[in-house]
Amino acid sequence: MDPSEAPAPCLLIVDDEARILSALRRALRREGYEILTFERAEDALRELEVRRVDAILTDQKMPGMSGLQFLERAARSRPEAVRLLITGWTEAIPSAELEHLGVRALITKPWDDAKLKETLRRVLP
Amino acid sequence: MVRIVVVQPAEPAPGRSPGAVEALERLGTEAAIDVVADAEACAARCRAAEVDLVVVDHALGLECDRVLDAYRCGGPPVVVLDAEGDDETALEAFRRGAADCVSAKAGYADVLPVIAAEQIRRWRAIRDRGSAERRIRDLERTNENILQNMNSAVLVVDAEARITSCNPPAEDILGRRAHELRGQSVSDWFKAAGSEIGLVTRTLREEVRFKGTESAITRADGTVVPIGISCAPIFDTDGAKCGAVAIFQDLSEISQLRNQVLQTEKMASIGQLAAGVAHEINNPMGFIHANLFQMAEYLADLRRVWRDLEALQKAIARGSAQDVSRAAEGLAALADEVDVPFLLTDLETAIRESQEGSERIRHIVQDLRDFSHHETGERVLANVNQCLDSTANIVWPMMKHLAVLEKDYGDVPSIYCLPMQLKQVFMNLLVNAFQAIEESVGQSGETGRIRLQSGVRDGGIRISVSDTGVGIAPENLDRIFDPFFTTKKVGSGTGLGLSTSYSIVRRHGGTLTVESGVGQGTTFHVFLPREREADLDGSL
Repeated sequence: MDPSEAPAPCLLIVDDEARILSALRRALRREGYEILTFERAEDALRELEVRRVDAILTDQKMPGMSGLQFLERAARSRPEAVRLLITGWTEAIPSAELEHLGVRALITKPWDDAKLKETLRRVLP
Repeated sequence: MVRIVVVQPAEPAPGRSPGAVEALERLGTEAAIDVVADAEACAARCRAAEVDLVVVDHALGLECDRVLDAYRCGGPPVVVLDAEGDDETALEAFRRGAADCVSAKAGYADVLPVIAAEQIRRWRAIRDRGSAERRIRDLERTNENILQNMNSAVLVVDAEARITSCNPPAEDILGRRAHELRGQSVSDWFKAAGSEIGLVTRTLREEVRFKGTESAITRADGTVVPIGISCAPIFDTDGAKCGAVAIFQDLSEISQLRNQVLQTEKMASIGQLAAGVAHEINNPMGFIHANLFQMAEYLADLRRVWRDLEALQKAIARGSAQDVSRAAEGLAALADEVDVPFLLTDLETAIRESQEGSERIRHIVQDLRDFSHHETGERVLANVNQCLDSTANIVWPMMKHLAVLEKDYGDVPSIYCLPMQLKQVFMNLLVNAFQAIEESVGQSGETGRIRLQSGVRDGGIRISVSDTGVGIAPENLDRIFDPFFTTKKVGSGTGLGLSTSYSIVRRHGGTLTVESGVGQGTTFHVFLPREREADLDGSL
């Protein structure tokens, strides 16, 4: 398939840690996604007001707004976007909450690059 | 009241009027007069009560001599009553130890009371002096017994701060025998940490009293022994200062136990931060891990470029223009595909970012190690603001997602303290503040605020840690400093945090107080006096 025919899937990533964003970008470089990264959930929400994305990947533990809180608000403006959550091993998240928000996959830090790519390929249209 | 025993024949001498008893009743003072008939009865009376005078009738003959013999070498004075008034009789009586001899002639009833009064007066003077001396001897012996047998070490110094006496426990602690210590200057032994002069010397110079103060002494062999010491000046009867007495105990074992408790509690409080610590380490681990993976891929790409470069070199060496141009084309295409300039730049970035990440992990581990470090127990001059700040730096990354931190440090003087222990107090207060906020965030969803304040107040330093958390229920306020009291979930509190903090602050001579309202948040105030020696609480 010629990439010029179908636009590249757009992936929006939020993490308060800039180095994580940088590493994720690096890992997904060859995956052919358009990648948007944000360190602040508020900024990402503003972007989502004006832009359609295919998938949203967010860290859970962030100052000001948790990943789940962010996903809940993001789902209001972009309900069609696939939602994914990155967590450390340390925070326990009730699966009911994940289900309620339609989180398709939980990625734990430190992540395995191959598995991450595989997961994204699976969930993205 | 005087007590007199009269020894006379059962049938008094005829015609003697008045009798001896009636005569003695004219003494003027209240007199208890016992009349007996022989030496044995007299001795029995003297044993039963303190008798001031014995009057014996010479007419008793042998019995009279026995009475005299009984008190020859001590005991009450004996006055002999002689009907004849014979010189020979009197001489014999004196030889046998009589105090006086009265002739029972007409008018003796006026003489006898006078003589009796004088004898009683003399006897009492002698007796009082003797018993005072004995009382002093008894007192000295009692004192010595107490000193030698008590468990606490006691050391007495004179006005020139030289050791004058010490008991066996003091010998044990100081590692020297009493005769070696006597005359030595006490300042050679007692040097409180962080003070130019020792507590005993200070007591002597400034007349300050210490009660249960913790200090340390350096023994003859150089080892340092932690002690609890009470010290007071001694004054003589004129009120002049003549020395000081120090009572102290070896706290080695107690301080060892206390350190164990402190260490346990400290590790537990770190344990409560474990989730935060793991998160802090997990983040850099996450990107270092991913970067390493990616860098391996970059390396594989660069290896391919190098292989094509080698092929080009070989083609050049062979000299076939066709081969060279084919190899060059292949190389160019590959370089394009793998984007070598990007690779090189990004490789550099990835390495730099990973280095930063590993540096961060190193810092966290270092901080934790510093925090779990044992303290020697010696007080050092330290700035409380720095203690507070470095503790906040350790724990803050683990809390920042739920709260903002406000710092309002005043200009405070450095004080002698145990910085690690103070950090432990601050750590506890910060963890508590955080957990209170965590709970309130769970209820309201709003993030909280922790405020750290310090400043000079009432001649000391006051540090306040305030939070906007759930607050403490009024019925629990009285119990929060009790050991093992906790309202936290199982596993998230030991119930020792505040009680340990409380005893650390008390050990610094300070106070730990709390203000709280449910839903309002909580403020803990740590007050530390600048002068740590005076009026310290000795509770351990």
